[in-house]
Amino acid sequence: MALRSAHLFFFFTITLLFTSAFSNLVLSKVERRIDLTSQIVRTISTLKVENEGPDMISEVLLCFPDYQAEKLAFFLVSPNEGKGKSKSSTTSLPVQGVKPEGMPSSLTFYSVSLPKGLSEGENIILDVFAVFTHSLQPFPEQITQADSQLVLFQDSAYYLSPYEVKIQSLSVRLPTPRVESYTKLQNTKLVDSEIKYGPYENIPAFSYEVVVVHYENNRPFAVARELVREIEISHWGNVQITEHYNLVHGGAYNKGGFSRLDYQARPHVRGVSSFRHLLARLPPRAHSVYYRDEIGNISTSHLRGDSRKTELELEPRYPMFGGWKTSFTIGYGLPLQEYLFESEGKRFLNISFGSPMQELVIDNLIVKIVLPEGSSDVSVSVPFSVKQLQEVKYSHLDIVGRPVAVLERKNAVPEHNMHFQVYYKFSGLSLLREPLMLISGFLFLFISCIIYMHADMSISKSSASYLAKLQWDEVQAAIQQVQNIINRCLGVHDKLETSLRDLSRTGDIQACKAARKAADSYLKELAKDLRPFLTFLQSCPQAAQILPKVEELVAKVKDIEEKLMLKNIMVVDSYEKKSGGREIENKVAALQQKLTTLRHEVDDILEVIDEI
Amino acid sequence: MASQAKPITSPISDVYYPSLAVVMIGIGLIVTASFFIYEATSSKKTRSLAKELIAGTVASVFLGFGSLFLLLASGVYV
Repeated sequence: MALRSAHLFFFFTITLLFTSAFSNLVLSKVERRIDLTSQIVRTISTLKVENEGPDMISEVLLCFPDYQAEKLAFFLVSPNEGKGKSKSSTTSLPVQGVKPEGMPSSLTFYSVSLPKGLSEGENIILDVFAVFTHSLQPFPEQITQADSQLVLFQDSAYYLSPYEVKIQSLSVRLPTPRVESYTKLQNTKLVDSEIKYGPYENIPAFSYEVVVVHYENNRPFAVARELVREIEISHWGNVQITEHYNLVHGGAYNKGGFSRLDYQARPHVRGVSSFRHLLARLPPRAHSVYYRDEIGNISTSHLRGDSRKTELELEPRYPMFGGWKTSFTIGYGLPLQEYLFESEGKRFLNISFGSPMQELVIDNLIVKIVLPEGSSDVSVSVPFSVKQLQEVKYSHLDIVGRPVAVLERKNAVPEHNMHFQVYYKFSGLSLLREPLMLISGFLFLFISCIIYMHADMSISKSSASYLAKLQWDEVQAAIQQVQNIINRCLGVHDKLETSLRDLSRTGDIQACKAARKAADSYLKELAKDLRPFLTFLQSCPQAAQILPKVEELVAKVKDIEEKLMLKNIMVVDSYEKKSGGREIENKVAALQQKLTTLRHEVDDILEVIDEI
Repeated sequence: MASQAKPITSPISDVYYPSLAVVMIGIGLIVTASFFIYEATSSKKTRSLAKELIAGTVASVFLGFGSLFLLLASGVYV
């Protein structure tokens, strides 16, 4: 109440002081539409600017009262090509805040630069789109659970402008037809849920006529006190977005407690001013979406996706009444190739700035863009003014940390959800930094293993046990070599046996003889190789235990050799004499038995040696 | 500028991450196993530093890449 009368008085004085027009521009037609259907106030003013004076005018001044200008969140001026053209070709005109002299002090001025100058007699139509937050004041300020929410909105029926206005009209759109009260001036009518003021003719500059509308607004008043939006890029193919919300219901405070019974029995009557659902429009092909808070995962959510968008419908853990707070985190991943591009040697990220939630007012929006390690030369281009900072974040497999570009914006609305770009330089080879770090980690393990095996960690180098250990190692090496040779001998024996079998199959005596000769020479060689090892073992005192076994093994293998040779000769002779198969078998039967037993014994000894 | 902008993707397509992870870690573990078998069965005289270093390097390269692809396939985009 006091506010209203103060404003009335103030602007009355202004009107008295500045009744004379100061410029040659005249607004010949002004149509204003104020949209009060949600918690965000959107006004679209269509101005027809006409140049009546002799000079060429290239800029138009727009003004707002200070109390409105500080709540101005988004402001766009575009030329209107007329009713025939489609709305899609809107190019916004550059707007700048100015402080012209000789103007009343509690007004904020903006100067719009026209695309081409306006000469005498010409006119141009401008669309001014302004978005205000926190402009609806809940009245009464505290309501019970069953009450409907009523809010006050205040504006001027006459368009506040530094120029004279010839014809103007105002239409205020409300969400429901229920209006408690509204200021009734001349030419006022309430039609359905729209209040129409006007048309008014020949209003002088800086005129202000207070209009107050007290109406019912039960739309969700979701206000985020702070939203931290973290966008992390990984060149391996993913953009991860994490958003931390701190929400509050910005409408009339709830008094008298909350009755869950009443709320659940008749939610449309008891709890009409509350909201339960929040809708977030995520980009298409978003994956790995999660919704949790400090307690854990919140399961009351629905995700629907198609090729153009992914809709996430969230329900906080409790319905939101006036003054109630909640905080949660949502996160999702996006494919990299739709957001990261390369041009002129620099890479840039093209992604939306604001929150994907519908109709959310954000008091303090912080967007952090985390670029991969090794990025340099970071620059950001945003279509509206933001505060920029730089930070460093340490994340997976980081040595020096990842550069973070922090953008802060106060008073953000869904209209700010435009695309912005972040430019940076990144050489392709830096991508190998991460696997190289992992490889060097594993390499460190292997090298330490090698060093451990090579290092001699005994304390005394001349003690008897140390020397004994050294000798034992040598003995083991020698025995291994002996085993190798014995195994090769046994292989040759097997080859001889197979040649005998081939003989019985094919009858080729010459081949058999040749094989026997080759085997003989090879075995002689192996026997020669064996000798130095045997002499070493004999000279070594450590090997005293194992020496008899080794000698036994060697003797047995020699035995096998001789018997095999004998058998071979006998069989070949029988073939030459062309005696029958049964005779051959009888002759060699005894030899064969001995061979098999000897072979078994050799295998046993080899096993015993292995165990030692 | 928009006409020249071309999208950047990962050098290896997403689809291959799990199979690459399994294959590389498999090979890495086999080479690791052969390295440790060589260490265990060789005596001081028969050990050769060159063989050990080569086996260790090859094993760590395969294990390093394999663990990177394992991290990427499980959603930790490092």
